[in-house]
Amino acid sequence: MPKQATRRDQNIASYVYGIVPADMELDSDDRGLGDPPGKVELVRHGEVAAMVSDVDVEQPLGKPGDYLAHERLLDSAAARTPVLPFRFGAVMATPESVVEELLKPFHDEFRAALQDLEGQAEYIVRGRYVEAALMREILTENPEAAALRDAIRSRPEDATRNERIRLGEIIAASIEAKRDMDTRQMVDALSGHFSTAVVRDPSHEQDAVHLAMLVRTDGQRALEEALSQVGERWEGRVSLRLLGPLAPYDFVIAQEQGV
Amino acid sequence: MTTSVQPAATGQMAGRPTPTGLADVIDTILDRGLVIDAYVRVSLVGIEVLTIDARVVVASVDTYLRFAEAANRVDMSQTGEKGLPEVLEDTKGAAGVDRTKNVVQGALEAADEKLTDIVESHTARRKAPRSRRDEREEEE
Repeated sequence: MPKQATRRDQNIASYVYGIVPADMELDSDDRGLGDPPGKVELVRHGEVAAMVSDVDVEQPLGKPGDYLAHERLLDSAAARTPVLPFRFGAVMATPESVVEELLKPFHDEFRAALQDLEGQAEYIVRGRYVEAALMREILTENPEAAALRDAIRSRPEDATRNERIRLGEIIAASIEAKRDMDTRQMVDALSGHFSTAVVRDPSHEQDAVHLAMLVRTDGQRALEEALSQVGERWEGRVSLRLLGPLAPYDFVIAQEQGV
Repeated sequence: MTTSVQPAATGQMAGRPTPTGLADVIDTILDRGLVIDAYVRVSLVGIEVLTIDARVVVASVDTYLRFAEAANRVDMSQTGEKGLPEVLEDTKGAAGVDRTKNVVQGALEAADEKLTDIVESHTARRKAPRSRRDEREEEE
């Protein structure tokens, strides 16, 4: 049976993970999304290629396993080669359309972007305040907060609602100010280790730092050391995590429609 | 509490950042990366993509009340809390710490793994053994 007919019968489409150099070699561990995991293939055109796998159009995408598979494949590739990650959920009709409508028209753009990324990957630093230490810090620094806290200390919650709201408001504002300051300190402490950095929005109310950086993968060890020094300074106050190497999600800019 | 210690507690490396990973992953892949229809609009296949609402941080009265309660709970006489390394040491002995260290460093080495704790200066201060790549390969 011709392949085309099979694809149509089964409503198979091509899920696109990202763009890589055409000479990239897939790893035997590389698996796509779906159940069972899709077989990842490279669809090449000229010097660029798309990482794709077959996906069943009848099945909605978005199970936790789908997200993880998307991200693992791209991050694993990013550790080995430059990669332009697509946002989750990019699906095209056939491998032929991936070539004709994606790789061919944008070949030079993709190639240039991949060259810019050569040797680099994304790393994310996340810092979360240690709650008790944070509260102690704020209460020590802010007399009004300390007074409010004393006022609610031994009284029932219902009777101190206004004081509680005011105290919480002060705390929220203090956290925001601390986050700004600590983020700036982190950027300063790590400068020289990244080529570009983007401050991400906090995704938790006690986030201290959320920073995405483009870093040379051969500079990872030095980055870790610089981060450890900040970690020592902030010990017991902020818990830090370093994620990476990741595909450079924060550093690929989608072409604006109509531009 | 930092989450990447979990693999250490549950045994050596299923190896991948699991539930913790998911939050970070969703954070990243749902609103970042290239968008295919900015390039091609015609040939998108009509496939249903389930997405999760972005978690937005909005300060509300609820948040304020929660913060106030957190402040209320804090014992100001206490000079410092135990850090994670100390807690680990207390509960599991030095072996527990070493294990964490190995997991963390293994993750650093493995190209396709990405969950790393740098926090515990305690842990991080210890320099990596030269042979850790080899160790990791043995584990696999």
